Amino acid sequence: MAAQKPAARHYPLSSILCLCLIQTAMSHVQSDLSQRNPATAPPPAVRLNITSDPANLATVRRAVGDLAAAHGFDATACGEIALCVNEALANVTRHAYGGATDRPIEFAADVDERDAELRVHIRDWGNGVNPDALPPRKRDPMTPGGLGLVCLRKMMDDVRFTPQPDGMLLEMRRRKRRPSMWLFDLIRNWKR
Amino acid sequence: MTQPSQPQPRDAQSIRTGSDLVPAARRAGENVVAAVRGEIDLHNSPELRNVLLNTLLGDANALPNRLVLNLEQVPYMDSSAIAVLVESLRKVQRGGGKIYLTNLQPRVKGLLEIARLNAIFVIVASEEEALKK
Repeated sequence: MAAQKPAARHYPLSSILCLCLIQTAMSHVQSDLSQRNPATAPPPAVRLNITSDPANLATVRRAVGDLAAAHGFDATACGEIALCVNEALANVTRHAYGGATDRPIEFAADVDERDAELRVHIRDWGNGVNPDALPPRKRDPMTPGGLGLVCLRKMMDDVRFTPQPDGMLLEMRRRKRRPSMWLFDLIRNWKR
Repeated sequence: MTQPSQPQPRDAQSIRTGSDLVPAARRAGENVVAAVRGEIDLHNSPELRNVLLNTLLGDANALPNRLVLNLEQVPYMDSSAIAVLVESLRKVQRGGGKIYLTNLQPRVKGLLEIARLNAIFVIVASEEEALKK
């Protein structure tokens, strides 16, 4: 008796799309890890104890931009991360410290062990006002106050203010590949 | 090293700014044209504010029809610089004028878009185009 041919199985389109997404994600992780050579590995972190003097802004934004670039973030991401760090530090000087330029700021930035996201940590000992707790205000282009926070929320993947007993901790994260980029990569790989 | 000089109309008068941030400015008829140079952040935006509001727009009776700012040599600016531009725009508008921004670098253009100011300033490719419009 001839063996019966198994019936063809049909997978829903959503399952195929899911598998493609997972495969694309794994290929990113593998290629990112394979490119890392311990002998030439980029610097893992930037740690700076600075004052709230705006003269420090250029140094810090360049340092974090260079860190992102060394870990393979594209030019747009490097520029946006640097801008967000600049805006966050400027807000500390202007708002948390009321314009004082001699107060301490602890700054750190690193890239996670999978080389997939850059994390920023900014600690101040200012007035502790949480921007997330302020009432939302209507955006008027001719009143540009608050633009820094708009940049943070638009350009970073996660922005978290944690009030401290004596100030504020701001933590921000930016993924190397944001969801829109993943979709772009998926379409690009599918066409190959 | 000397900077290459821009062709100027015959009636152009150069304006002394005393600022490296705005190394070249001139009045051409009812227009003022200025070139801005360098990264602008909270550290030096007060200097930009002083040049724009006091030196170039200081005389409330002689506000220009067009203030043309060539930003070709500005690779980066932050929200404090944007605030200075908006304050300058308010002042120019009091005399019925406009601000033209020319030769924008991508990051500066991106920030203006986020600030939703790309339709409020007149953004053009070159000084010549700004003066022609």
